[in-house]
Amino acid sequence: MKNNIAALSFLLLSTATVAVAQEKASPLEISGSVDTYYKYDFNKSGNIKTFFAGEQNSVSLGMIDLALKKTTGKASFVGELSFGPRGQYESIPDAAGGYAPTANGFNIQNLYINYAFTDKFSMTAGYMGTFIGYEVISPAANFNYSTSYLFGSGPFQNAGIKGTYAFSDKVSLMVGLFNEWNQYRASRGVSSLGGQLMVSPVEGWTAYINGLHGLDGYGNYSTVIDLTTAYQITDKVKIGLNAADLSAGDDKFGYSGVALYPQYAFTPSVALGLRAEYFNYKGISGGPSASVTSFTLSGNIKSGGLTFIPEVRFDNDKDFSQSFFKSDGTTLNKSAAQFSLAAVYSF
Amino acid sequence: MKTVSLLVLLLGLSILLPAQEIAPLPKDETGKYTYYEVVSTTVSQDTLKARIQSFIQKQKKELKTAAVASTKELVANGKLVIRKSMAMLSHPSGEIAYRLYFEANNGKYRFWLSDFEFFPYQKDRYGNFVLSTTVGIPLESEPKKWNADQWDEYRLQTSKYATEFATRLKDHLLNKAVQAPQPPEKKVISKIWK
Repeated sequence: MKNNIAALSFLLLSTATVAVAQEKASPLEISGSVDTYYKYDFNKSGNIKTFFAGEQNSVSLGMIDLALKKTTGKASFVGELSFGPRGQYESIPDAAGGYAPTANGFNIQNLYINYAFTDKFSMTAGYMGTFIGYEVISPAANFNYSTSYLFGSGPFQNAGIKGTYAFSDKVSLMVGLFNEWNQYRASRGVSSLGGQLMVSPVEGWTAYINGLHGLDGYGNYSTVIDLTTAYQITDKVKIGLNAADLSAGDDKFGYSGVALYPQYAFTPSVALGLRAEYFNYKGISGGPSASVTSFTLSGNIKSGGLTFIPEVRFDNDKDFSQSFFKSDGTTLNKSAAQFSLAAVYSF
Repeated sequence: MKTVSLLVLLLGLSILLPAQEIAPLPKDETGKYTYYEVVSTTVSQDTLKARIQSFIQKQKKELKTAAVASTKELVANGKLVIRKSMAMLSHPSGEIAYRLYFEANNGKYRFWLSDFEFFPYQKDRYGNFVLSTTVGIPLESEPKKWNADQWDEYRLQTSKYATEFATRLKDHLLNKAVQAPQPPEKKVISKIWK
């Protein structure tokens, strides 16, 4: 049944796209970013294992991200490719669906077609960055350079088809059918159902309530509930919040966590932001849980398309779930700290 | 050789001429960039009122009515999207929000565009450019040294837009029908022998 719905929707999209072939086209948009970083862990180890900025005492590569977009009438497409560790084996599955550093990659972050049937209703089909969570793969769209435990644990991408209806500028609803998370093709059919309710109660405040149920990237049927919200309180002060809970399999293992993102802009070009996160791994089959707290202080110094991100980060792993080591490299430690400096150029 | 020189000269002129045509908007007494125009008209006040509202409705993607103060005054919020480059390959880098003020009086109407604020875009998770903040930067703000060129470009694009907007508005209020060029009539080619 789900397959039939997906096939019908694809057919509708295809038909509609042909119908507008003669309509006005926008210029082809090309955009992207390049990033590189240096990281130093104070215990001289790659202790903090959240995604990206993982290499110790090394001037290392992030990725080059290239995006194409074109709109013709009511139809548009986005194709976004990324090359480099951050945009390949650290976040994007390879052709076989794995994350092996040596494997050939598809390098696709986004590849989808959108059709706006009306001003209020549009449908999108293809492979898309996930709608779950606060942080994203591209460093140009994050304030902090390193990423949260919530980001690293949730889905990265969803392939599928979704429809979005905007009731007004302040409320919209998205519902979609998806493959298993982080995969280009379905191994067990279109297996996930997801939705997103967007509300914007006051100007500057937007909240997304997200839900996704289906086959996750590890072969379990999981349910994730996620709240992502940000409020630009004044021209200088912005605060963001991400809270999520994932229950996987019959044992209901998974995670729950919350991260707060207060930011202060001294000028339009210089800002300071904190990420304070609490993250809990739920025990399997009633086993013990393990929690981590993390504090990340980042600066954003902008000059044209270039952003420098100096960052310090302190993680506390009271249950020894993260294998932090002391500087001898063998003795387990409850805490880890690191400094990094990243340069991100957007074009 | 002469041909090459002539071509170089023409190319130079083609680059220089458009640059000379566009200048930043003048500032009003409060120091805000403003496009201001008073127009004499024979159109009645009620008709002007109806036509300005139909103009806003027609341009609903870029204009929204903010307030109707009286039968002759109207305020609308508008926006124009700023592109990083005017070349074929470009992408939006932000938008400039503005206010349109419209007043009609006997035999005349006036309108002005002002309160220009720049809102930068950033790319979202789906590869689309969206607002990165809901708090704009007034176009009159003095830019830093490293982005002075960008701000000059924003001001020039705003000026160009305001001039084109004014022409569109005046034409609509005059009810000047825009004659779309008619495509040439297709001839039916008969391929029969007789």
